[in-house]
Amino acid sequence: MSGPGNSENKRGENYPVRYFDRHFGIEAAKILPGEYFATDKNMVLVTVLGSCVTACLRDPRAGVGGMNHFMLPRSEQDPTNPISMSARYGTFAMEILINQLQKMGARRENMEAKVFGGGNVLRGFTANSIGEANANFVTEYLHNERIKIVAEDLLGVHPRKLYFFPATGRVLVKKIKELHNHTIVERESEYNLRLRNVVVGGDVEIFK
Amino acid sequence: MKTILTVDDSPSIRQMLAYVLSSNGYHVIEAGDGEEGLLLAKEHQADLILTDQNMPKMDGIALIKALRGLPAYRHVPIMMLTTESSPALKQQGREAGATGWMVKPFDPEKLLEMLKKILP
Repeated sequence: MSGPGNSENKRGENYPVRYFDRHFGIEAAKILPGEYFATDKNMVLVTVLGSCVTACLRDPRAGVGGMNHFMLPRSEQDPTNPISMSARYGTFAMEILINQLQKMGARRENMEAKVFGGGNVLRGFTANSIGEANANFVTEYLHNERIKIVAEDLLGVHPRKLYFFPATGRVLVKKIKELHNHTIVERESEYNLRLRNVVVGGDVEIFK
Repeated sequence: MKTILTVDDSPSIRQMLAYVLSSNGYHVIEAGDGEEGLLLAKEHQADLILTDQNMPKMDGIALIKALRGLPAYRHVPIMMLTTESSPALKQQGREAGATGWMVKPFDPEKLLEMLKKILP
């Protein structure tokens, strides 16, 4: 994922957008497509999902939690190819969040996940819905990594607004039922477009 | 057939690497953390090691330091394959004796190309 990422212990970046949420009375961070965030503070992580998916991960013993927000670059690729660009991108989107949590003291075996999104919001060029491919990926990935999924709200036709409280693990999901929700579709289309040109491969350096 | 030891706590990454490497003629051994990696390296002489950095028990840099202390691994190529890309950490890896550094997500073509370059 070449896009921005963030976490509590990274220095001085301006994203994600942080603000004080007056309703919940705590600090909030807004997680946009392609971003992730991990914290050990009592705060609320907010995101809006159409076809994208989010994994809310948490280690209750270590008291850290975080979320990502992503979609696979190409849903029409062969889903059985274990090293497709989509598989590698999705794996990376999950791994950077898991790594960040581990660096903050979480242990893989204590982690629990709640997964959301994958709505049939963004239409693909094939019969397979983009949302469905994303939902399948996130559940299969977590299963493969032996990270327990303790709650899920996937698929369907409506976008979702999510509030994740990493300190307690609580998640509030609001289904957005207005017919004209252009912002979500526009933001995800733009992200999807960006992903078409993304290079899923990091630098290689051989030391002299 | 060359033997490659992959060390990563993520089963997904190990499976992807095993798929790429074994379908290109390499024999693959897998370890889930640095400690297991060290143990397996002692049991089977690997021709190359690919290791993650952030792992429970023993991280990648600690593994490289331990391996470089073993006569059998003094000159075996050891590549880091990690989401980490900070120059400070790279420098630590280099000082520990890493042969090189690959930033995740890995590109299968680049990985194979790199192997051809550094495998003796």
